[in-house]
Amino acid sequence: MITLRTEFQKIKRRKIGLTMFALISVQFAWFLWATKSPDEKELAQGWINLLYMLPLLNVIMMPTFMSVLASRLSDLEHKGNTYKQLKTLRRPAILFDAKVVCGLLFVAAISIGQIAFLLVLGFCRHYLGNPDMHYYALALVFNFACCLSLYLLQLNLSLLFFNQMIPLVVGLCGSLLGLILMYIKMYSFLPWGGFLSRALVGMDWNIETRVVTYFYREYSVIEYCAIGMVFIWILVFYVTGRIAFTHKEV
Amino acid sequence: MKTSYSRAVKAERLKLKRSPVWLAFFALPIISAFFGTVNYRMNIGILKSEWYSLWSQHSLFLCYFFMPALIGTYCSYLWRLEHTHHNWNSFLTAPVPLVSLYLGKLTQAVFMAILGNAWIFLLFYVCGKFAGIQSPFPSKALEWFLCGVVGTVVICCVQLLFSLIIRSFAIPIGIALLGGVLGLMMTNRDHGLDYPYSIYCMGMRANNPNLEVDVPTLMINSLGYIIIFAALAILYLRRREISAN
Repeated sequence: MITLRTEFQKIKRRKIGLTMFALISVQFAWFLWATKSPDEKELAQGWINLLYMLPLLNVIMMPTFMSVLASRLSDLEHKGNTYKQLKTLRRPAILFDAKVVCGLLFVAAISIGQIAFLLVLGFCRHYLGNPDMHYYALALVFNFACCLSLYLLQLNLSLLFFNQMIPLVVGLCGSLLGLILMYIKMYSFLPWGGFLSRALVGMDWNIETRVVTYFYREYSVIEYCAIGMVFIWILVFYVTGRIAFTHKEV
Repeated sequence: MKTSYSRAVKAERLKLKRSPVWLAFFALPIISAFFGTVNYRMNIGILKSEWYSLWSQHSLFLCYFFMPALIGTYCSYLWRLEHTHHNWNSFLTAPVPLVSLYLGKLTQAVFMAILGNAWIFLLFYVCGKFAGIQSPFPSKALEWFLCGVVGTVVICCVQLLFSLIIRSFAIPIGIALLGGVLGLMMTNRDHGLDYPYSIYCMGMRANNPNLEVDVPTLMINSLGYIIIFAALAILYLRRREISAN
């Protein structure tokens, strides 16, 4: 607890929360722009459409946002060259856990904020019917899990490398990979493919009538495995990161 | 001025020596080209415009979202060297005019962006041949390349300013990504040439090789943005006292 409090003291006035809010605000602006002046068909499919758009935007933005968050939390240690001092005061594993929990709270806030925004947006746009809370709750859990796995990956890289360019470039490459894979198949076992694997909604575009119909996806066995992979990645990144940080030469 | 400029460029090159920053410009277009070509081959029944169809697959995501962020990463790296330790003291007291120091960094960023663009086009050509496209390589590609280069210079100027002002390495990269996303919105509203991040995509004809772009407007707007952002950066360097941390 003391170590966690110290983490928050370290990031005081670094405006990390504000930075994340500013970044996520652009996503909200996109939602506002994409859903403006809906016709009858869009009003009827509004709630499900929001769930379709969310992973699409997340796969583009979240890997970079998570690398920004991880980099902001780790860079102060690199710049201040504080590892030697920190490791003599506390056990390295606890220091790593504190960084994980600190980031996890930001990730949770972002995930809750996203879903809350979608619900408010849907009601403001007067979408027909009520949101499927079961699916929205699932979207929240999966979204949180995907973001957390990416955060842990980026945190490991950011703590490992002094040159923060490497983790940021890995985040960008992963983001591009996740996005492109979306157009080839609907699941991926890669860490950046989690958003796509767990997408709750599919889209059917009729080429002749040019009508878009959204539907809730039925997962196949391999798609369930791909979703399960997100949770395995969380475990893998947490364990490897903890071990690597504990054994890091300072 | 000329000597000081070349000295500044040389110094920047020296700072980047043995640094693997170029790898990012090498890797990202490969991902886009590889999967773009795979997608093109898988949908060859629908994508019938050969080189043009392949180009839309190669350029869509790369140009809109990832090249701005990649250029942002490079610019952040260029300023990061100054933001760490007491390097601002050495930088600002160097016996070279500030304009030259800034131009040295801009030259380095533009040089890398041009190499990145050339690599994108080389991959486009090679992948087209591998995909079995028989028609001749489109002559318009040279225009796309040149307009794209102008667009990258604009992004370099904007990102150099952000990375100069913001000490954090990561935040300007997030801004660049968001700039790309907003660029897509601006392009959809037919304001693509008025917004610095979408000039690049418009120039490269990302996703729409048949798009008719008003090249003189693109050039004038780009020049305007380059002058404004470069002037702001130089002004910031001159006026603002940058603490050495």
